[in-house]
Amino acid sequence: MLKAPLRVSGEYRRPDAATLVREVRAPYLETTTIRDGEAVLARDGKPERRFALSRAPELAALQTSFGALLAGDIEALRSHYTVDAQGSAADWSLRLLPRDPRLASRLQDIVLHGTGDELRCIETRPAKGQVQRTLMAGAAQAALRAGERADIAALCRGDDRAG
Amino acid sequence: MSARARLAGALAWLALLLLLGAWLSQSLSFSGDLRRFLPDPRTPEQRLLIEELGEGPGSRLLLLALGGADPQVLAAQSQMLADALAGDPRFGLVTNGAGGGLDAIPERLRPYRYLLSPGLDARPLDADLLREQIALRLQDLASPAGELLEPLLPSDPTLETLRLAEAWLPARAPQTLHEVWFDRAGAQALALVETRAPGFDPDGQRDAVQAIRAAYDAARGDGPGTLEISGPGAFADEIGARTAREAGWIGTIDSIGLLLLLLVAYRSWTIPLLGALPLATAGMAGLVALVLLFGDGVHGITIAFGFTLIGVVQDYPIHFFSQQRAGISPWRSVRALWPTLATGVAATCIAYLTFLFSGVDGLRQLAVFTIVAMATAALCTRLLLPGLIDPAPRDVARSPRLLALWRWIERLPRPRWSLLALALVALAVIAWRPGPFWQNDLSRLTPVPAPLLERDAQLRDELGAPDVRYVLTVQAADTQAALRASERLRPALDALVARGALDSYDMAARYLPSDAVQRARRQALPGAPALRQALDAALAGSPFRADAFEPFLEDVAAARAASPLRPQDLAGTPLAASVEGLLLEGDGHATALVSLGGLRDVAAVERAAAAGGARLLDMKQASESLVAEYRSRILGALAAAALLLVATVWIALRSARRAWRVLLPMALTTVLVLAVLRAFGVELTLFHLVSLILAAGLGLDYALFFEHAGDSRDDQLRTLHAVIVCSLMTLLVFSLLALSSIPVLRAIGSTVALGVLCNFVLSLLVARAPGGDAADPVAPAPDAATPERPA
Repeated sequence: MLKAPLRVSGEYRRPDAATLVREVRAPYLETTTIRDGEAVLARDGKPERRFALSRAPELAALQTSFGALLAGDIEALRSHYTVDAQGSAADWSLRLLPRDPRLASRLQDIVLHGTGDELRCIETRPAKGQVQRTLMAGAAQAALRAGERADIAALCRGDDRAG
Repeated sequence: MSARARLAGALAWLALLLLLGAWLSQSLSFSGDLRRFLPDPRTPEQRLLIEELGEGPGSRLLLLALGGADPQVLAAQSQMLADALAGDPRFGLVTNGAGGGLDAIPERLRPYRYLLSPGLDARPLDADLLREQIALRLQDLASPAGELLEPLLPSDPTLETLRLAEAWLPARAPQTLHEVWFDRAGAQALALVETRAPGFDPDGQRDAVQAIRAAYDAARGDGPGTLEISGPGAFADEIGARTAREAGWIGTIDSIGLLLLLLVAYRSWTIPLLGALPLATAGMAGLVALVLLFGDGVHGITIAFGFTLIGVVQDYPIHFFSQQRAGISPWRSVRALWPTLATGVAATCIAYLTFLFSGVDGLRQLAVFTIVAMATAALCTRLLLPGLIDPAPRDVARSPRLLALWRWIERLPRPRWSLLALALVALAVIAWRPGPFWQNDLSRLTPVPAPLLERDAQLRDELGAPDVRYVLTVQAADTQAALRASERLRPALDALVARGALDSYDMAARYLPSDAVQRARRQALPGAPALRQALDAALAGSPFRADAFEPFLEDVAAARAASPLRPQDLAGTPLAASVEGLLLEGDGHATALVSLGGLRDVAAVERAAAAGGARLLDMKQASESLVAEYRSRILGALAAAALLLVATVWIALRSARRAWRVLLPMALTTVLVLAVLRAFGVELTLFHLVSLILAAGLGLDYALFFEHAGDSRDDQLRTLHAVIVCSLMTLLVFSLLALSSIPVLRAIGSTVALGVLCNFVLSLLVARAPGGDAADPVAPAPDAATPERPA
């Protein structure tokens, strides 16, 4: 329905091990708090909306992979996904295939791109529809510097540093 | 006839009864519908209760609470349970907060959202509104919820569908965790289920409760968790099960006790069987008469009353058994007994005739049942039993212990003035003991255990479920007028909610506005060219493609062409149940109901209702006034019955003095039992009244038999034996009932047991015939009038 893919920027925060906060700062303000299998979405002047993570696979994937990566807990990751690692320590990618058939019916896969100990990008590919990319850390800063002209797909794969 | 032939005859009789019983169980269906039991309504409240409602909108709701596991597990269980029940035809509405109510709107009705939703009442659907909404939708798409909303957006950029779904949720919904309702503590998943079976239908409710438990067990599988079900239907089920359990053990002990008593009294194995046959036949005959005359419109309480009242027929065969001895044919001894027995039966039957003219169906049924049953039992005793009993049993008059007892009784004084004093004291207690005389609340007879009630109130509060006692009613000429009138109430009701007088309310117009409102909304929708222009203007410069909202244009055009949605258009949708329950169509009029949740200020709601042309219906008060009406009809019939009874006994005995001696014990007993009940602070119910009638009937028989105990000492001994066995049997059965934990059974049991005791003692003291001296029947007693002797 949109002429071009939508771009929003902001911050992810982990106030504690069980909580993930997704804060959109531009072009508008919006905070999503994820904990206990639920997401609470808040916007200025609007009542909160709540929904189960089971209905938003993108967030569910984010929550589990974030948590597992930060804790360095590959086993936790493997309990939810089939993990396929590729590349070198300086330029790696992890492909996560959901094990749960319900999640798999909505989510094709998640690919995490990173360099060293830095997670640069999360690519979420839903079963139908377009791939969504979440740039982080250096990649996100590069995208902000490039502004409208940024090639999000290339930044996500780490092409900027390779090329 | 040989002993074997007689036994074969008795067994054949029994077999016939079993066959008849099988037929009855097929064709007789009890109804729990109060309308079958209570008198015709008079006040508008009563009429509404009986003719329109039968019960309140809240009484078909069952409240479910799932606990004992992690919230996520509970949510999954709640979801599976709701899915299973939604597909079950026994349930109307099943809500657990899931799905946001979107599923309630079938695809074909989706364009109607522009007529049903109040969302666009405040602002027209123009370029400004669309621009604002489209900007919000962009944020939605970029949010984690984007994937959920994306399919909806092309046809619904203002999200009217969601607004409608939210508006249709119960007025005050509990919190939602993991997509389903939870209590405030977040420990239990909650759901509301509306049964199709009425709240007063215990079988239907039991069926529904079992279906819910089965669906829950399937949803839980081997996992953890517990299910709680509350609400009127669940209580009816619980109380029904408890009553059946108690009646079960009481019945077992009764049977053993009666068997032992009869074996000791007659030393014969066949007597218990023969003694039970007339009662069983009487009950069956009464039921057959009910089926033939009233079809299936027989209320369970009528049957319960009826079986209580025919307890008296158990005595008929006993009188006969005690008279039978060697040397006299059974036919002759039953002929000798018949005038006395027939006087009792005829007097009681004639008295019950008055119930036929009471104007209450339940009482007419009671009269038919009782008269048919008593006549049947008397005829069985007269015409069938003599052929079946052992013609030469042990003569009970030969018992030395009985003789000793009889001698002791002979020496007892015949009280006169002391009885008058007793009666005056009793009357004084009845008249001046403080406290209400009658208990009209039928539900008090089958009280729900207090912890269950507390839990119910708690769940009702959490779920915002409607009050079961109060409901607002709006009467109008047709459904549209009723919808309009209830819409007019909304501002006042909203104000009451805001003030805290009320937590929530629900009405049909919330789901389906009146034609007038729908037409006004249709009128306000822009035409196709204007809407396209507004949309184009709103989309200019937005990231949405220009053709992204084509389906929206189509839906608005469809809504502009649609005729207003009517209640009948909802058939087959989940909304139909909600609307049907709150909008009742009668003949030439319609009633809209407004159910109330968390009602705190009854007077304020009543005032607001009156100002808006509605009426606050107190269903408890209405049903209690009907019970009072029923009782006054019984009392009226009883007064007439008492006169008829006195006249019958007088005519049969042909002596005012004898009639006085026969009637005094039962009259005095009634006064004494009433005084005892009052002294203990018992508020009298219909069940007490029926029990008093039974006690009076028993007393009449005792007095008749004592008064005409026969001419010789031996005859008097046999009568004494019979009355002792009769009263011990009745005392045993009803004392056990008096031990029950269920108030109805306790009320019947204690009243009848007390009545039997009083009647026995008073009949003995007042009505007993002067002692005969001779052991053989020779000379008639000097002061006894000539006894009737049929040819």
